[in-house]
Amino acid sequence: MRLITTLFGKMGEWSKKYANLPDRYIDRISERVLWRPPPGKPQYLNRKIVANRKLYYSIHRPWTTHFQFQNWILKHRQWYPLEPIKDWSFFRGDRVTVLVGPDKGKQGIVHDIIQERNWIIVQGLNTKAVIFDKRKNFPGICRRIEQPLLVNVQVKLVDPSDLNATSIEWRYTEQGERVRVSLRTGRIIPIPVTSKETVDYKSPDIYVEQAKDTTADDVKELTFEAKLKTFEMDIMDKMDIKEDRIPKESYWY
Amino acid sequence: MATFTKIVQISRAVNNVTKLFTNLVLSQNINSVRSSMFIQSCKINVYAMQKWFKLFRMPTLQCGLIHTTSKRNDLMEFFDDPKNWDKDKVRVGRSWRKDELRLKSNEELHKLWYVLLKERNMLLTMEEIYKQEHKYFPNPERIDKVEDSMANLESVVRERNRAYYMLETGTTGERPVSLRYSPLGLRYRYRLRQYSRPKHANSEWHKTHKFGYGGYAVSKFLRLYREKLWNEKRKSRNRQINRVATLMRIFPNLDMEAVKEQYPLADIEKVKKLRKTDGHFVRD
Repeated sequence: MRLITTLFGKMGEWSKKYANLPDRYIDRISERVLWRPPPGKPQYLNRKIVANRKLYYSIHRPWTTHFQFQNWILKHRQWYPLEPIKDWSFFRGDRVTVLVGPDKGKQGIVHDIIQERNWIIVQGLNTKAVIFDKRKNFPGICRRIEQPLLVNVQVKLVDPSDLNATSIEWRYTEQGERVRVSLRTGRIIPIPVTSKETVDYKSPDIYVEQAKDTTADDVKELTFEAKLKTFEMDIMDKMDIKEDRIPKESYWY
Repeated sequence: MATFTKIVQISRAVNNVTKLFTNLVLSQNINSVRSSMFIQSCKINVYAMQKWFKLFRMPTLQCGLIHTTSKRNDLMEFFDDPKNWDKDKVRVGRSWRKDELRLKSNEELHKLWYVLLKERNMLLTMEEIYKQEHKYFPNPERIDKVEDSMANLESVVRERNRAYYMLETGTTGERPVSLRYSPLGLRYRYRLRQYSRPKHANSEWHKTHKFGYGGYAVSKFLRLYREKLWNEKRKSRNRQINRVATLMRIFPNLDMEAVKEQYPLADIEKVKKLRKTDGHFVRD
């Protein structure tokens, strides 16, 4: 049971893809630590007390201050019914048709994915006007902010052959590749290249190596040889450290 | 020293020699200034440091002759490259994966560990300094990337050692663990320790390590504790049943396999018969 709750507490694969952040960082920044042992005091056990509360996911991502503020206030959040989805089939850069709201029937490009709520954000569509910085002597600045759309009800993918909305199915090609197939025309809807894009690079193969990065060739180089030695024994041999002291008899209990 | 270099210049015997001498003098100056700066200033200011760097850190001929990676065995190794001090974003790659570390020899892993350790020290120092300056630390996930790599490296080393001990002795060679009951009747993993005295001769150990349970109070506690655990389990099952019923009511074409995966405690066939699952649509 605990395993299941932890699994559902995690973020979806596609919603953290673009930010390109390690899981350890996301966990560290989104957990709410109530107490941690003071530094430099060995008399305390190295254990922290974390609020055992489910995180509330909205359009704000966990690495933003908005998210932390939303989760910091102790507000009881109602359970929101969420249709379980086995295969996520909306990716960044996909063309979709909006089925509801003021932009009903319009087509747009998927800009952001929030898998925890089954949401996508379509660029420039389904917007809400928000007035920022309104004061007595200043009318404020109006900005249109995209609102999320539910993937199972409110949007549909667009078939690239005739540019009309269609429902899809995941199937295998003869080469064993898993593809999305339009149910209406039977055409393959390719996964866009933009789905691999992150803040750091447009696509993984054109990533520019930085000063401190290990080059790909160095990473792939095989230097390991199997020897009948432990790690410590091997290092001691390499550094010419000889250990001939006989340890005293000891008891494990 | 200055007069000596002048004499050499006048003689013009070898031009390179003079260069070497002047550079030697320069490099000595750098060292003296550097050490005195650190003694004088207790609080290290990033921007003061940067200015000072621009003034004194000049490329010397020595560095040109012996081409190696920059080796600075001084306190500045705790700080990031001064080029990065003003940057809002410092780009780095991802962390080392276990499969990549498995390719590397023990010696290389040993070296990599120290590279990572130094990097982590540097990042923690920089984080602290940015905090003191009330500024945002650029890309704080770098610390987590380094820590991930370190954890992966440790687990690969552990894997290798375990393989050796399993081959040689048939045991893992790690600290042994046994399941014991605490005086409250709760089972836990007791990690054994190494002692120089045998167990029967160690009376202090027996005083501080009590295992096993008994008595009326403990059995009452255990009864209530088990009831609490059972109630939690029962509540979570009921919650899952109610949630599945709500989902069935709201969404007409639910993927039942995905529901079963997400709510394993709910009996789907039973939930289908509930009044709660009737939605406002015609079901096929």
